[in-house]
Amino acid sequence: MLLSLMIFIPLLGMIAVLLLPRESEELVKRVTLLFTLIPLALAVALFISYDRSAAGTQYVVNIPWIQAFNIQYHIGIDGLSVTLLLLTALLGPICVIASWRNIEKGIKAYMALFLLLETGMLGFFAALDLFLFYVFFELTLLPMYFLIGVWGGPRREYAAIKFFLYTLFGSVLMLVAMIAVYLNSGAPGARTFDIPTLITLAATEGHALNNLNFQIWAFLGFFIGFAVKVPIFPFHTWLPDAHVEAPTAISVILAGILLKMGTYGLVRVNMAMFPQGMDFFCNGTGTWGNSLALLGFINIVYGSFCALAQTDFKKLVAYSSIGHMGFVILGLAARNTEGITGAILQMFNHGVISGMLFLLVGVLYDRAHHREINGFGGLGAKMPVYTGITTLAFMASLGLPGLSGFVGEALSLLGAYDKFKMLTILSTIGIVVGAAYFLWTLQRVFLGTLNPKYEALPEINGREILTLAPLGILTIVLGIWPNFAIDMFRESVTNLVNVLQAI
Amino acid sequence: MVVLLISLILLCPLAAFAIFGLLGLAKRSFPRQDYLSTAAMLIALVCSLLLLQEVVPDPEPHTVQWLSLGSVTFSMGFYLDSVTAIMLIVVTLVSSLVHIFSMGYMHGDPRYPRFFAFLSLFSFSMLFLVVSDNLLGIYIGWELVGLCSYLLIGFWFEKDSAADACKKAFLTTRVGDVGMFIGMMMLFTKFDTLSLYGEGGIFAQAAVQLNTGDMIWLSIAGVLIFCGAVGKSAQVPLHTWLPDAMEGPTPVSALIHAATMVAAGVYLTARMFPILTETSSLVIAYIGGITAIIAATIAIVRFDIKRVLAYSTVSQLGYMMLGIGVGSYVAGLFHLTTHAFFKALLFLGSGSVIHAFHAMHGHGHDDEHDAHGHDHDEDHGSEHVLGSEIPPDQDMRNMGGLRHKMPITFITMLIATLSISGVPFIFSGFWSKDAILAGVLGRAMEWNSVHHYLLFGMALFAAGITAFYMFRLIFMTFFGEPRNQEMHDMAHESPKSMTVPLLVLAVLSFPVVNTLWFNADYVKPPEQPHLHAPAHAHVSPDSKVGEAGLTFSLFGISEAVAAEEGADGTHGAHGDDAHHGHGPAHTIAMVLSIIVAGLGILLSWLFYHRRTLSAESVATTFRPLYTLFWHKYYFDEFYNGVLVAVTVWKSRLFAQFDGTIVDGIVNGVGTVTRDILAVFVGVFDNRIVDGLVNRVAEVTWSIGGRVRQIQTGAIQTYLFVVLAGIVLLILIFRAL
Repeated sequence: MLLSLMIFIPLLGMIAVLLLPRESEELVKRVTLLFTLIPLALAVALFISYDRSAAGTQYVVNIPWIQAFNIQYHIGIDGLSVTLLLLTALLGPICVIASWRNIEKGIKAYMALFLLLETGMLGFFAALDLFLFYVFFELTLLPMYFLIGVWGGPRREYAAIKFFLYTLFGSVLMLVAMIAVYLNSGAPGARTFDIPTLITLAATEGHALNNLNFQIWAFLGFFIGFAVKVPIFPFHTWLPDAHVEAPTAISVILAGILLKMGTYGLVRVNMAMFPQGMDFFCNGTGTWGNSLALLGFINIVYGSFCALAQTDFKKLVAYSSIGHMGFVILGLAARNTEGITGAILQMFNHGVISGMLFLLVGVLYDRAHHREINGFGGLGAKMPVYTGITTLAFMASLGLPGLSGFVGEALSLLGAYDKFKMLTILSTIGIVVGAAYFLWTLQRVFLGTLNPKYEALPEINGREILTLAPLGILTIVLGIWPNFAIDMFRESVTNLVNVLQAI
Repeated sequence: MVVLLISLILLCPLAAFAIFGLLGLAKRSFPRQDYLSTAAMLIALVCSLLLLQEVVPDPEPHTVQWLSLGSVTFSMGFYLDSVTAIMLIVVTLVSSLVHIFSMGYMHGDPRYPRFFAFLSLFSFSMLFLVVSDNLLGIYIGWELVGLCSYLLIGFWFEKDSAADACKKAFLTTRVGDVGMFIGMMMLFTKFDTLSLYGEGGIFAQAAVQLNTGDMIWLSIAGVLIFCGAVGKSAQVPLHTWLPDAMEGPTPVSALIHAATMVAAGVYLTARMFPILTETSSLVIAYIGGITAIIAATIAIVRFDIKRVLAYSTVSQLGYMMLGIGVGSYVAGLFHLTTHAFFKALLFLGSGSVIHAFHAMHGHGHDDEHDAHGHDHDEDHGSEHVLGSEIPPDQDMRNMGGLRHKMPITFITMLIATLSISGVPFIFSGFWSKDAILAGVLGRAMEWNSVHHYLLFGMALFAAGITAFYMFRLIFMTFFGEPRNQEMHDMAHESPKSMTVPLLVLAVLSFPVVNTLWFNADYVKPPEQPHLHAPAHAHVSPDSKVGEAGLTFSLFGISEAVAAEEGADGTHGAHGDDAHHGHGPAHTIAMVLSIIVAGLGILLSWLFYHRRTLSAESVATTFRPLYTLFWHKYYFDEFYNGVLVAVTVWKSRLFAQFDGTIVDGIVNGVGTVTRDILAVFVGVFDNRIVDGLVNRVAEVTWSIGGRVRQIQTGAIQTYLFVVLAGIVLLILIFRAL
């Protein structure tokens, strides 16, 4: 019940917002904030009460929904989902606060869409029925489309459509694979979308789902759907456009949560349900055995090099996301405890850190009305606090030990090195290039002589600090004491590794 | 007690920084951050001194579980042996003195509190590195000191040269760090742990493995870990960042870029001593030897007082690496400690000189910002050298005759110079340098190894050059006639807060701390299996090492060195023959080192004081060689012109590929789809496609870039459709 409440309270909030008069903007904002704070409180409650020593799903609700197809409203959380739910619930109010001043038109519609988006995201991370999973997956698509397409920058139409069609293309393949799984799950009447059941069936010797060929194709179908979201090269080109055009808060959600939906899907469906398919792409032998790790490597190096070439601050951060998600892929491809733990940690940390980065870009954009890196210079003398927070975020993102980014990255690499020596060593190029583009940006924006154009640039204000502080604190806390997060999903990872090794 | 003391040592500076950081969020700062940071450091110093008594032989690490992943755990912890204890004292002592010095030197700087906060963060990170018992902890401290170095080099970030220098320092060391990380991954994959000590630690496991052969991978891992040290300790080929790091305030140069952080590489290499194989040791020794020579030769032709010292630091660090590479563990670390004190003194002394010239402008350090870009390179005006623009207050060609103006600075710097030059017996530097030389020669004689004879030659050569350029610095700065009368007139001795640290460090440049190393039982070199490998047994059946020889028992230094040599040379348990003297290697090395130091000083005197010899004419005679030194062997030209350029070019290529090819395909597919859909939509009247579907078609329609406003009104419609859909779903749910 707690879980369902958490998922649907933003939806209630949406209705509430829609019922409010258009003119009372302040009220709309406050109501929205309230309806994002409640899920946060519930997420914290879940975080506290979650039984860390149990491997299975908790807070399970399982009621029949569309019985004709044996579809259930089946939700529940394990360590991975509770971590991402917390991240989603945390970014919710932060994004509302970040949107407080700089959404100029249609604030009511904006907030309503945002709340709908949040329900979609929360539901997605809790769903345990493939059909429900898919519904929530799609539910995030349309609000996002409008949020970019209406409140975005000059090329918002193009970016929104590109995002929409790209994701739709992926999710169609996913739908096909999903139906294939459903049809193969048993005799007519005994078919199911239930994820735990499907996982058990897929592990049963002789079952249709246990067939290697089937697993490979189903894996591919889901994989492409998720790869678009992650995004994995070459399905990534929607991301820079979407980020550049999206308003600040939407970029935060995009990088912080939507990308994680892709990697979450890979873990929840591809790895758990198709361990043989996973094995085919990750066993380190043959033409295909290195393919997933190779994609991770390409993401890291390609994303980093592309980021180095950017002069648009936001585009740089967008490409850096591509690079950082590569570490997640590499860690998952390793299929061992270190790799998967690293990958999950990296998902969470990337959500926090990239959230900070996009908020910081927004702070600057709101003041200077452009994002051209070469157009600044010397801001460090003018805005010391802003510079300090940016330095913290950059350092976390480039993987400085002591901050959270390092732990996830290091564990992913450590795990991957065990399986893919050469690719992992080559991936470390990304670590150097990552430092290069962040430090170069730091220099161009903050160091050197102050650009006289920005003599009067005001320092970061209290509201902006309020959005950044929780994320900054998390970055430091998780850097010093990563067990704080790992405790949540240690058992789930062990469980998953067992599934992966059972084949 | 140990845990408590170490925790205090770490927490005090960390707290001093945290207070600054937290207040910073509220846009405030603690009014006396300088007192806070200095007090924190002094407490750490006291605790470090107390820790000296807590050292026990073969200590167990104090660990806590840091990361637990189910099957794998990583722990963090402290390891306190004699080397840790000595390092703690060196770091806290130099740091305390630098804190005090900075109160005078940085006085009036607009970011004065921040400077002390960064010093605190640095001290914490460095101390964390020193006490860590595992590679992960060392790596964390390692990167954090790198961050502090970055922040402090770029402290005056308005200067473009400082902004460039701090970025360069971070990136160059990161290249080495990546190598170190790969080495750590190799070790982890093999040993399933990153802890070094204790049962199940890397050393315990490696000791077993080393006896079973199969060492190639371990050699590679050792060299990779050493890569980190190459970056941090500015060894060739990653040394170029350190001279540029002189853009930072001078106290920073003294603390970070002379005494502590750059020595961390040596410390790490020493920590990894038990797993260094013969091959990796030789690589380390060669890198050290080559660095010692390259840096020393560059130092001869520099005019910037701080750059001379920077190259000198690089060179001396190479010396220490060489010592460890030939198995002289104690000698390498011994030189680290003596060097920390006299080099910190030299830097602070140079800071005192720079400060003396500052007063002529009557205000803080703003002039140092402006100074950049003034071209004082009259002699070499036509030859632009990367990073060679010298601020006038650091240019030795503006100095001269300062000894009367600044007697304390002069005397203390002279003591440090005598020490680093290896003037015999009464200066600490002599003993530590001699210990390394003796170690190299001893190894060469014992193994009859050409490599080690060559290395000895290199070390000896570098020692001579060191004496030469250090006295060149002293003569140019403090002797002769003032070259720039205007600046000279304004010069004055520095305030007490600055001269007192100089005096303390000067005392430490005499062999007072050495007693720690002299007690042969206090520091024991760890076992390094290949030193006792039978492969070398046959070459030295009648090795002279271990025989009774000439003993200088002044302060007992010879005993420490002898203990080491004896242990290595007799292939057996150390300590037993510690007090039975040593072979001729030590004597020969000592005599030769005194000769080269004397020669170096003599030549320097002839060139720069008596002026019997002319530096200019020698430079003309050996033009190509001089040009090579002047251009610092063209490392910067190569890195900037080739490596950086290629990287940037490659990134542009990638971005262009991404924009035109990958995205081009995407847009192409989009256009084609749109055209097909156009036919589709043309056939089936789009008016029958209603609501949401209509929207999607329209959306598809406009992909080519036809701009069409999405109406906010449509969203209201859309949201109600969604709501209706949800209601419908609930109804279905109820019905079925």
